[in-house]
Amino acid sequence: MAEVLRREVVYLITAIVTILMFIEFFFIGTWNVAEELRTWATIIANISIALGAVRLLAEHAKNVQRRRAGVWPFSIWLWIIFLVTLLSGLAGYVIKQDAMTNPLYNWLFTWPYTSLGQTLYAITGFYIFSAAYRAFRARNIDAALLLIAGCFVILTNAPIGGVIWSGIPVIGRWFLDYGQVPGMRCFLIVAAFGMLAYGFRALLGRERGFYGEVAGE
Amino acid sequence: MVGKREEEDMAIIVSGRGMALVILVLSYILFYIFMYLGRKGREIPVRTLPPMAAIPEGIGRAAEMGRPVMFTPGIAGDLNDPTQGPQVLAAISILGYIARECARTGVKLDVFMPIPTALPLTEETLRTAYMAEGKPEEFSPDMIHFIAGQSPYLTAVLGYFQRERPATNFLIGGFYYESVVMGEGGNTIGAFQIGGTANTHQMPFLVATCDYVLLAEELYAAGASISKDPDILGCLRGEDIMKFILIALMIIGFILGFARNPALINVLRW
Repeated sequence: MAEVLRREVVYLITAIVTILMFIEFFFIGTWNVAEELRTWATIIANISIALGAVRLLAEHAKNVQRRRAGVWPFSIWLWIIFLVTLLSGLAGYVIKQDAMTNPLYNWLFTWPYTSLGQTLYAITGFYIFSAAYRAFRARNIDAALLLIAGCFVILTNAPIGGVIWSGIPVIGRWFLDYGQVPGMRCFLIVAAFGMLAYGFRALLGRERGFYGEVAGE
Repeated sequence: MVGKREEEDMAIIVSGRGMALVILVLSYILFYIFMYLGRKGREIPVRTLPPMAAIPEGIGRAAEMGRPVMFTPGIAGDLNDPTQGPQVLAAISILGYIARECARTGVKLDVFMPIPTALPLTEETLRTAYMAEGKPEEFSPDMIHFIAGQSPYLTAVLGYFQRERPATNFLIGGFYYESVVMGEGGNTIGAFQIGGTANTHQMPFLVATCDYVLLAEELYAAGASISKDPDILGCLRGEDIMKFILIALMIIGFILGFARNPALINVLRW
């Protein structure tokens, strides 16, 4: 009973907040209520980040406790880095009311974290090549058309395309500006209607899949 | 005679959003009518979505191979993000179904959840799914791995692929560039993969790297394919009618555009 009641309260809150957001978006003079709710959402989101951090630390503490093969030394490393970053940020905040004033904190963010992130992002290029190879194999007429269009677009973006033949960038640009735009917009419109319908069901409390229920069962 | 300034002062609808409100209200009326008709027993045919039909196949494969199943909803946005949030919620809906299948077949499920606001919802969904299958003891919060930040999340998933070698990966939700990296990472270990997103910029990557993909509205309508639920089916029929209305508007706009008549544009900008 308590479980059912708890769910109904969730659906009720969802419905009220959704209606308030609709009113704020379409009607004049309702800004303050919605703005207040958005502030609450930001606060709740920040609290959830702290909860996430606690969960992460707990998971890695378990790894260390159980000496999980191949993982536990990294879990210790995560704990160390977490504590160093947290304490250096807090130290900066305590001393000058701004975490960013601590040089250690700044160094950790600017050099190790950003550099590693950028490195990983750069590797994406190789993954895209390998995915493109898989997609561009001319197995049927659709894949063959994709292959032809893809070759034109790649050669348009590569300087050598225009050198080989001046028409390549023109055709490639056409694929980019006119060939793919209608298709993508079609997906956007269709996705928007899907989102509208999903929101409507959530508003009425009839979208319950995210509670482990398979609808209709 | 009322001046333009006075007209603006008297307006209650935000300028430029009037037609959006009309379309929204019309959509909701249609959704409601068809939901009502669906509940009254009117048959609304819907095609089976191959990715949803393939979910038991993927989990069965994992059971045969004795390997885990991995699910992740991507890191494109938080739950309060207007475009990404609904995708994450729809993904968690599908996760509920996947979790029930895993519980039924005894397959280990690992969920990589990089969105902190969605953590409690994910935990609740998994717990409910395992309880619904009569195996609450098999649920553990350790099934959910929280990794904050795009690059750390991506690295953790790639490392997991190499260590655990999951038999099936579900990449369903709002994705950014992690879709292609995880999709290709999954391919290198020979995993069966089902993807899904409404982010147009990531669809090509999922199509290239996954065996089955839920595209755009299919992500939100996936439930209908599983359960034939009249509410979802009714909404789908309402969506179809709205699409026809939009196509008609496009054709009218196309003709009026040739005639250099701005009437439709003015109405849409109301």
